[in-house]
Amino acid sequence: MSRSIPKLIFAFTVLFFAVFFLYPIWNTVQEAFFDPDGEFTLSFVGAIFRNPIYLEGLINAFKMGLFSTIASLVIALPLALVANRYRFPGKDVLTSLLLVPMILPPFVGALGIRQFLGQTGVLNTLLIDLGLMNPATPFDWMGEGQLFGVVLMNALHLYPIAYLNISAALANLDPAMEEAAENLGCHGLRRLWRVTLPLIMPGVFAGSTIIFIWSFTELGVPLIFDYGRVTSVQIFDGIKELSGNPLPYALVVVMLGTTVVIYAISKWLFGRENFASSGRASTGRTLEHAKPLTGWLFTALFAATTAIAILPHVGVILLSVAGDWYGTLLPSEFTAQHYIDALGHPLTVNSIGNSLKYASFSTLFDITLGIAIAYVVVRTRLPGRHLLDALAMLPLAVPGLVLAFGYFALAQEGQAFDFLILGEDPVIILVIAYAVRRLPYVVRSAAAGYQQTSVSLEEAAQNLGCTPWRSLQRVTLPLITANLIAGGLLAFSFAMLEVSDSLILAEQAQHFPITKAIYALISALGNGHYLASALGVWAMLFLATTIIGAGLILGQKMGALFRV
Amino acid sequence: MVSIRIRGLTKRFGETIALQGLDLDIKAGELFFLLGPSGCGKTTLLRAIAGFHLPEEGSIHFDDDDVTQVPPHKRNTAMMFQSYALWPHLNVFRNVAFGLEEQKVPKPEIRERVQQALEMVKMGDYAQRKINQLSGGQQQRVALARALVVRPRCLMLDEPLSNLDAKLRIEMRTEIRRICKEFGLTAIYVTHDQKEALSIADRMAILDGGKIAQIGPPEEVYRHPHTATVASFIGETNFIPGAVESANMDGSYRISSAIGEFTASPGNPEWKPQIGQKTLLSIRPECLSLSVEKSSQNVVAGKLAESVYLGEIAHYALKTESDPKTIHIAELNPRRVVREEGTLLYAAADPRDIVMVPAP
Repeated sequence: MSRSIPKLIFAFTVLFFAVFFLYPIWNTVQEAFFDPDGEFTLSFVGAIFRNPIYLEGLINAFKMGLFSTIASLVIALPLALVANRYRFPGKDVLTSLLLVPMILPPFVGALGIRQFLGQTGVLNTLLIDLGLMNPATPFDWMGEGQLFGVVLMNALHLYPIAYLNISAALANLDPAMEEAAENLGCHGLRRLWRVTLPLIMPGVFAGSTIIFIWSFTELGVPLIFDYGRVTSVQIFDGIKELSGNPLPYALVVVMLGTTVVIYAISKWLFGRENFASSGRASTGRTLEHAKPLTGWLFTALFAATTAIAILPHVGVILLSVAGDWYGTLLPSEFTAQHYIDALGHPLTVNSIGNSLKYASFSTLFDITLGIAIAYVVVRTRLPGRHLLDALAMLPLAVPGLVLAFGYFALAQEGQAFDFLILGEDPVIILVIAYAVRRLPYVVRSAAAGYQQTSVSLEEAAQNLGCTPWRSLQRVTLPLITANLIAGGLLAFSFAMLEVSDSLILAEQAQHFPITKAIYALISALGNGHYLASALGVWAMLFLATTIIGAGLILGQKMGALFRV
Repeated sequence: MVSIRIRGLTKRFGETIALQGLDLDIKAGELFFLLGPSGCGKTTLLRAIAGFHLPEEGSIHFDDDDVTQVPPHKRNTAMMFQSYALWPHLNVFRNVAFGLEEQKVPKPEIRERVQQALEMVKMGDYAQRKINQLSGGQQQRVALARALVVRPRCLMLDEPLSNLDAKLRIEMRTEIRRICKEFGLTAIYVTHDQKEALSIADRMAILDGGKIAQIGPPEEVYRHPHTATVASFIGETNFIPGAVESANMDGSYRISSAIGEFTASPGNPEWKPQIGQKTLLSIRPECLSLSVEKSSQNVVAGKLAESVYLGEIAHYALKTESDPKTIHIAELNPRRVVREEGTLLYAAADPRDIVMVPAP
């Protein structure tokens, strides 16, 4: 490949990120710190901390992040420890199934969980039927600020991230480290506490940081649960009165600042310590066969966790075929009417088309740019290729809500991105927004492909008279097709169920993507709930198809895409 | 200080048999070596003694205690791992103190004993260092201190020097022997480095296919190998296939081979070969001396194929007319080096240096 092309790719990527990543963030920061006369001021950010409602929102967001993280760890840690040590019946299948909840949209699942935990929900009905609860005073599981439901939904969605990180840390642990403790008389839980846990802490914290930032800024779930007193929802509400009001900007800056600080602290605490052992491991870990009874207990533990985690989505499926479901264990009658109604409803049909359009274009864009960026990073010695790599990974660390807000602010009349809104159609800005957030997945899978494909294969082609460009086309790209398809499928399916960009940037009903249509339907009266769940099932079907496809292509390697 | 008695020990991993009905006695206070090619079962045996593998059959006794089913943390052995397995989240002091803390030793005593142990391995000034600030040799010393400080019934060393450079290895192996003897420790040392074993072992066992092929002091194993595997695993040797002609009065045998007649004795004194039986002769390169004149017996004739001069020693390879095609000779303090390829040379051996082992 000629020397100028990597430079061109580099220049384009830097420019693209400058305009569509840094500039929106910078613009938001600027609005938050400079008054209309261009004077620097701390009064807007200060106002956030003086306003009891915003302060409560922040505290609630913090609680939401913290409790979701702790709950995810509580679920994931025992599972990871067991899987790292024992063989038990059905292990291979169960450990893969355990990751499924990560790819199910919590936004959709939240619809279903209300059906189980509401005052007239399944759990209460069951308890009343068993005589454990007084029918006159049903307990409201989701009451008391609804934080419980939000945390539960987040944890059931995000525990796979903790599981993957802890498993990776355990796999890197030299078994001799534990044997040495055993040998010196330290055993069982004591050994776990004194040796194993301290050694895997960096991995635990890496996972926790991602989960915390994710749930700290989560918008979809609290919206569905009507949990309004939380920063993300307050920002979402704030965009309705944006013109001339600096407070939403300040709120976004506070949220961004908090995530950056959390990220920095976790890097500072654990980034420096490299616990990877210096010598080579003396023994491979041999998996113990669990005793039959314990083994089946482990099987049950894994199966139950997965079952509970997908329960909300099962609820959505049931809701979508329920004629009536109120105060009973299962829907009292079943019907396909909601699907028929959904097909007749302008909002749903349009939204499926819109989502397909937005997701396809953004995926195409990601694959093109991903191939180019990964090529420069892996195959060239261009100075600054590491910067390129870091840039491409950056969207993983910045909350989607912050970026969505940045785009929204710039797309206002008279602002820099206004020209990207064609009439009232947000297609360009949405495609860009979707693409930026999902670029890391594609870059990562393409880079993995390049790394697995020896350069000498390309050189052999060039040696036979192929130009560098042709050799890339004829040799390397076909060899990494699997990686590209897998990365592309992930980008596509995540884009199909994107929440923050979709909710914030699509303003006209005819441009709504699926997620916003679901949100609009829920707020609608009448059979809105049922229509929303029918639409949710459609979305999950799309998602399942693409994820299963990606899983078939990538196999065991799929987990690697979710590690940061 | 304990003696260790192992009877009929069998350990399987799925289909593969790592140890099959192994018997072994290790005396109290002995520095005992386990050697063998990779996959022979030596590490499995060590880990079984430490309790990390539970055997399917057989028993392990420390003195009169049956420890076969005792979990590792109750065996009071101390193991030094090949990777050292020092915990990076604890500093040098805390690593060494770990075992004593587990034994609930009072704090002041811990401080004293840890410092003593560190002094003994010459790491007294490094107590507060982090593990990743230490070199490989220093880590090795800390690992040794951590194992010794608990005053174990038995010290286990799993290839403790394999991560060190050659010079440090020689220094550390004498150090390990000094410390073991000072404490009167029973120590079991696994290695694949024969030099380590020959230089510091009291006794050694050569394992082959999950069984003990030979057991004895270093010079006995080296000079009188019982089998071809042992002869070739410890040191270099030339194998000459032959057949037993007759038995001599002194217990030696006359052996005929394609390249001449030899007088030899069995490596294993209990082995009584029959007349006419096939056998292998093992003659080590340094047992052959070169000459240009032919003598009648215990001589190999061949043309010089290669000569390598190394100063204190010279290596020659002779090509012979039949099996074996090549004979290796090592001449100590070579005064004159023969370099002309194709020169006809004779290599003679003393009958005391020619060992008979069963033909495989």
